[in-house]
Amino acid sequence: MTGAKVTTETGPELPGARASQTPRPRLSVIVPLYNEQESIRPLYAAIVQALGDVGCTFEMVFVDDGSRDDTAEIARQIARFDSRVRLVKFRRNYGQTPAMAAGIEHARGEILVTMDGDLQNDPADIKHLLEQIEAGYDIVVGWRHNRQDKLVTRKIPSRIANVLIGKVTGVPIRDNGCSLKAFRAELIKSIPLYSEMHRFIPAMASIAGPRVAQIRVRHHARRYGQSKYGLSRIYKVLLDLMVIKTVTTFASRPLRWFALLSVPLFLSSFAMLAHTFLTLVTNRSQLSLPLAGTGIIFLASATILLCSGALAELIYSRGDIRDNEFFRLTQTIQRHPGDVSKARPTQPVTTIS
Amino acid sequence: MSTQPLTPSLPSISVIVPVCGRRSELRPLYAQYKAGIEAVGLPFEFIFVIDGDRTDASRALEELLNDGEDLTVISLTRSFGEAAALMAGFERAQGSVIVTLPAYHQIESQDIPKLVAALGSSDMAIGYRSPRYGNLFDRMRRSAFHGLVNFVTGARLQDLGCGARAMRRQVFEEMDLYGDQHRFMAILATRLGFRVSEVAMRQSPKDRLQRVYRPKEYAHHVLDLFSIFFLVRFTKRPLRFFGMLGAATFGIGAAIIAFLSVQRLFFDEKLADRPALLLGALLVVLGMQVFALGLLGELIIFTHARGMKDYRVQEVIQYPDQYPGTVTSSVDVTDVEPGEGRNSEIRHTAPPAMTA
Repeated sequence: MTGAKVTTETGPELPGARASQTPRPRLSVIVPLYNEQESIRPLYAAIVQALGDVGCTFEMVFVDDGSRDDTAEIARQIARFDSRVRLVKFRRNYGQTPAMAAGIEHARGEILVTMDGDLQNDPADIKHLLEQIEAGYDIVVGWRHNRQDKLVTRKIPSRIANVLIGKVTGVPIRDNGCSLKAFRAELIKSIPLYSEMHRFIPAMASIAGPRVAQIRVRHHARRYGQSKYGLSRIYKVLLDLMVIKTVTTFASRPLRWFALLSVPLFLSSFAMLAHTFLTLVTNRSQLSLPLAGTGIIFLASATILLCSGALAELIYSRGDIRDNEFFRLTQTIQRHPGDVSKARPTQPVTTIS
Repeated sequence: MSTQPLTPSLPSISVIVPVCGRRSELRPLYAQYKAGIEAVGLPFEFIFVIDGDRTDASRALEELLNDGEDLTVISLTRSFGEAAALMAGFERAQGSVIVTLPAYHQIESQDIPKLVAALGSSDMAIGYRSPRYGNLFDRMRRSAFHGLVNFVTGARLQDLGCGARAMRRQVFEEMDLYGDQHRFMAILATRLGFRVSEVAMRQSPKDRLQRVYRPKEYAHHVLDLFSIFFLVRFTKRPLRFFGMLGAATFGIGAAIIAFLSVQRLFFDEKLADRPALLLGALLVVLGMQVFALGLLGELIIFTHARGMKDYRVQEVIQYPDQYPGTVTSSVDVTDVEPGEGRNSEIRHTAPPAMTA
């Protein structure tokens, strides 16, 4: 489709096309990039350096999230002389979660590591994350020790958010905002990731019952460019938190939860209607219309809630996410006395110092 | 198309004209459009889609075909709407550039090359009539409508009613139009990550006639606005909208009930005689139900999230290994050996049986 006026570039290679040619790498490092033209070269060098020490096969997936500077061009140059680099280029800026999701989709490794593109994470820490994955954890998240950010606008809100997220979702992670995380590929690829969920990946993944560990990672001050977040995200975080909580709790048995909601309504409506009925029989002059009306409203509402539950059940059964399929991703099977898994966490999140 | 079939690999233009409710004499219209397209200087084809039973249009097009004119006519058995007509036309279109033109004199056809030329720097070009004719009321109505649409969608468009659009084939391929969404094509294209530009086109003198809108059409416009509003804002996050609405309703209802309860407890006013109780209870349960609707919506998204991507990848770049067997890199990591040798080093602790 090239011509005088119309040129469209389409990548000649599909992600699946090469999959058969090269063996599956052990590790994929996923880096979303948005206007990081200064950082990308040192980042690449640091990753190669750090993983050279580890010595396993790896690939890098750079996701260019519609950058308006030279990020894509520099990444392309890097890809040109390193076949382990794959560049996924977005048509426009979509945000960090879609970038992560695209990176996860296009990564082929057995272990996926996500990290920020702004050099604030240290690729040397990937080694430690890998060790924990090898030890049998499904998700390893970093928490930023000695965080190098502004106190009032970044660190304090983030601390409050982390406590809140931990309480609500039941996955008490010290630092949800840290992008440096490692996952087993099968697990993370099956977790739905949309909207602005990248902060809640461990919470979202909790539907699969993963073994989560958190370790301390280094954090550097921003060297280039501007921070891309402000305080405006708080409101979105709160809403997303609510969504995740409701969706993950409701998801497996929606009818039951809706029914539970409708029970108090049913009970109070029965009480009110019974009262009305009694007064109707015994003392007609004392009849209270508002009370009777409220009873009727409650009854109608409870019925509709129950029907919504049935509808939810229908939606869920037609969808492609089954709660009872996730166990395959995290189960351990013991058949011989010897094979006992090393990681047997007793709490939702194991902190490893 | 008589000389050679169009191929998408070569620059070529497919013109789709959906023949719907409003239409002019197609013969002179076709002649004008053809002259305009010929001025572009690329091979082209014309596709007319007759939406339902439009006898006069079918007859005119038949005559054109009999005259040996090179065009494709697609007739739909019933009226499916303009969006469906465009999709039907696109299924037959072969060109690398798709141009849609209205079936009535709306713009001067001499401006068509300008429209196509705008694709040099964008993926889609939509015309806007300039200078635009109309009385004060029309202008106010239009600017109010477009102001609302732009406010809601974050776009900056001036003339959604203009049927003259040019786009690369890829844009149309990714679009899934239904209902009356052809009007919002530019907005949808922006959402898909395409660059959209607006091109000033002179308004045809025949379009300057007063057009009387019936109240029904206003209602349709408002409903269109609603649908695009939900499509753009809340289809990905239904609970954000429903949850907010539900929480507000619930809050007001709860406040009313609390106020009444306080009066009952401390000021000894009889609760059962107050109609306000009814209002409070109604608002509370309404809030709950709106919230439950949002939850249903969110459940739909959640259970289908793996299937739908909310991003569009432009390209995936990976260069093949130039020297198979060795690892090439710019940085000095020469001691890295490919293959199994180094792999076993980290694999010595076999991971527990986690996959089935």
